[in-house]
Amino acid sequence: MRKLAWTAAAVLMLSACAQETGDETAETAAPGAAPADAAASASDDGAEKAEGPVRPPRDPYPSTYKPYPGETVLLTGATVLTGTGERIENGSVLIADGKVSAVGAADSIEAPEGAETIDAEGKWITPGIIDIHSHLGDYPSPSNASTSDGNEIVAPNTAYVWAEHSVWPQDAGFTRALAGGITSLQILPGSANLFGGRSAILKNVPSRTVQGMKFPDAPYGLKMACGENPKRVYGERGGPDTRMGNMAGYRAAWIEATAYKKKWDDYWKKYDEWADSDKKDKGDAPDAPARDLKLETLAGVLRGDILVNMHCYRADEMVQVLDMAEEFGYKVSTFHHAIEAYKIADYLAENDVCAAVWADWWGFKLEAFDTVGENAALVDAQPGGCAIIHSDDALGIQRLNQEAAKAMADGRRIGLEIEPEDAIVWLTANPAKAMGIGDKTGALEAGKMADVVVWNGNPFSVYAKAEKVYIDGALMYDRSDPSLSPRVDFELGLHDNGYTGGAGQ
Amino acid sequence: MRNAMKNFTMKTLTAFACAGAVLVSAAAAQTVAIMDGTVHTVSGDVIEEGDVVIRDGRIAHVGADLTAPAGAQVIDASGKTVTPGLFGAYSSIGLVEIGAVDDANDSRPAEGFPLGAALDAVDAFNPSSVLIPVNRAGGVTRALSAPSAGDTLFAGKAAVVDLSGRANSITRAGAAQIAAMGERGAMREGGTRLGAWAVLREYLDEARSYAANPNDYVRRPHEARFALSDLKALGPVVAGEQPLIVQVNSANDIRTLIRLKNTYRLKAVIVGGSEAWRVGRELAMANIPVIISGMANLPNQFEDIDSTLKNAARLHQAGVDISFYEGAHNLRLIRQHAGNAVAEGLPHEAGLKAITLAPAEMFGVADELGSLEAGKIADVVIWDGDPLEVTTKPETVFINGREQDLENRQHMLMQRYRDLSRGDLPFAYRGGESD
Repeated sequence: MRKLAWTAAAVLMLSACAQETGDETAETAAPGAAPADAAASASDDGAEKAEGPVRPPRDPYPSTYKPYPGETVLLTGATVLTGTGERIENGSVLIADGKVSAVGAADSIEAPEGAETIDAEGKWITPGIIDIHSHLGDYPSPSNASTSDGNEIVAPNTAYVWAEHSVWPQDAGFTRALAGGITSLQILPGSANLFGGRSAILKNVPSRTVQGMKFPDAPYGLKMACGENPKRVYGERGGPDTRMGNMAGYRAAWIEATAYKKKWDDYWKKYDEWADSDKKDKGDAPDAPARDLKLETLAGVLRGDILVNMHCYRADEMVQVLDMAEEFGYKVSTFHHAIEAYKIADYLAENDVCAAVWADWWGFKLEAFDTVGENAALVDAQPGGCAIIHSDDALGIQRLNQEAAKAMADGRRIGLEIEPEDAIVWLTANPAKAMGIGDKTGALEAGKMADVVVWNGNPFSVYAKAEKVYIDGALMYDRSDPSLSPRVDFELGLHDNGYTGGAGQ
Repeated sequence: MRNAMKNFTMKTLTAFACAGAVLVSAAAAQTVAIMDGTVHTVSGDVIEEGDVVIRDGRIAHVGADLTAPAGAQVIDASGKTVTPGLFGAYSSIGLVEIGAVDDANDSRPAEGFPLGAALDAVDAFNPSSVLIPVNRAGGVTRALSAPSAGDTLFAGKAAVVDLSGRANSITRAGAAQIAAMGERGAMREGGTRLGAWAVLREYLDEARSYAANPNDYVRRPHEARFALSDLKALGPVVAGEQPLIVQVNSANDIRTLIRLKNTYRLKAVIVGGSEAWRVGRELAMANIPVIISGMANLPNQFEDIDSTLKNAARLHQAGVDISFYEGAHNLRLIRQHAGNAVAEGLPHEAGLKAITLAPAEMFGVADELGSLEAGKIADVVIWDGDPLEVTTKPETVFINGREQDLENRQHMLMQRYRDLSRGDLPFAYRGGESD
């Protein structure tokens, strides 16, 4: 998983470079290896260029996010949970140029000249919290028919929709999540469909546009769903009506996607042969296949560029899906709502798949009947196990630290040795890894984005509050400073023609 | 003493008087002395190194430096916290097993069903519900089990129940009636709040007429849209005897409710109340308690614009009695609601009161339940830490003075799959040895 995610991210970075530098970089990209190479930018307008073959645009709605200005800040004297499993008592975190510059014992890090030193004695510092499963913006507040944009319930396979095209940046939920320490999050389409569509990975920074929130160079995710939801929704609308119908639906789509991918691979190969051929024998360049948004996304999964986020509660279904992934040569990044992950934690670890779970939600449907409080801890206890605590909820996202605290406490009660420095990984490095952004954020390590939360105490407590939240080194939320608390447009003037409480409302 | 207690119980626990008698005698054998814990009586001071003696199903003594009675089972609670059992003020526990499975959900009638107020949680409350041991292990000993409204404004009668799982665990039938108002009411009555309030008043007027003379009422022309059984069920509400729990959120709806309460002399309780803090003083004056969320703070609907985490602290400051609602499966999370409210300024003891004594007061059982006081029914929990902290768990739970089994389905599942190594037999053979 780590390797795959890194590769995908690297490819994307190449893509971003290419867009800036043009054709020069094109020469260095492996032809056909990924559609993300330099030529992508050349064909962004969809027209074939003489310089290279047609390639579907990789990121036609690119991130315009730029970190806000931040000071050089030395946070010192705190308990630091690094997100890499380390805990530093009396530790310091140095933030400079938007990056984590140094992390270590307080006496080992000097404040550079001009740095602001903040005495954080008694505070706890963690990486920014990351929610791998959110519907903020596509199911925003206020919630009504006008704003319900999370589930394209028209067909079992809507892999062609992109969650970012539904995200309303004026959802107050983003600001509340910020006050809970959320610095990055993945917005997923809903789970009505077998293939729900692409996810959007965002930095939790208010913006007029979703592009202004998009996490730069993050890979896309694909939302898929197992079990009850698709069969409930489509049972009387032409199917699937059963779990076997669900599986058949996925498999038919992967067969189609495999053929689609091959069509493009063949085209690029032919194009290269044509380009390399002797000029005088050269006829017209081969024609590019017709684009198909749905299959483009699925082919992206088969190429390893798009990470699969699969809503799947039941143990037996998750193992079916692992076999299916093997059958078609793709990888599941994470099972979401994996209520029964603890029953197959060994399979998940062997297959390098993360389980994103709630601490204690259960019973709202039969496939959610078998939850245990130790679920995350038991997944984590497997060698190589990857546990994530997710929210799927606009209130839950505000206190993922409390949810992890419950899961940690339950694990400890059965004798599993889980310390805060371990459990914080379920909210930071693990979701970052599973979302393909683990090389950029999710841990307090030199060179990573300075996505940092200062808590008023041990975050694994109901009384803990995020006091300061830095995103890329910029202080975006300060609990003690109302001017550092965002309010979305929707909130203005609604409280007796005045202001609502903002992020910490 | 025991006879007096029994009579007292029979008088207080109205509908199921004999249940009270059973409860007391069944627990008669057990005398327990919980020694040296931090005792939160809720009704009085916190006693450091305090003791609680339970006898015959009741709390016999609470204090410091007590001597354990001869023959008592002694529990060393040093380093532990002792509180009254938690009381879920508003839930559908016992009425729902699995939300999305029709045959395992009795909490809400289907579309088109004509009755509302006449429905009675007691008829379907299932003491064998798998939710009960799970929430009992989370420290919940009592709850209001409330149906949800179908097509009519009224959902029906809610009952105070215990979480012992015994066949008769009804503490008080008809403890409250439920009405869905605000946006939920508007949805049911023509799409506006105007419609919902008008229909609610009409119900109350008709119920009064019916109560005044049922025989006469049925003989003369009357509003035909209301079922007689509903009007009959509303008798105790219009008599001001039975609390009417009204689902409202906006400050404006709450003001309308206060006017209605005063006009009809109702005993009202609010559930929802996301903007209640804006009318805290008026609520305190009207003596209306509010059951809220400790975690909601979004303008989720237009009636929740001023929803805030500070709701609890501000209501408490204004002198309003509060509690916290939570569905059914995770009723145990009421203490997380309380903890979050405390993190936002509610005093800790007020947070604890909100999930113990306050709901007992709201539903007329506070002379028997809700605090650690001599003479009260012994619902007691010993915790391994601060009961409002999410990492804390109950170690021992007493209901009606009897120590409860904390085993539950979730724990059994965990035990079965804790070790995934292949055994001599499949997983299905693990556990159940004691059966």
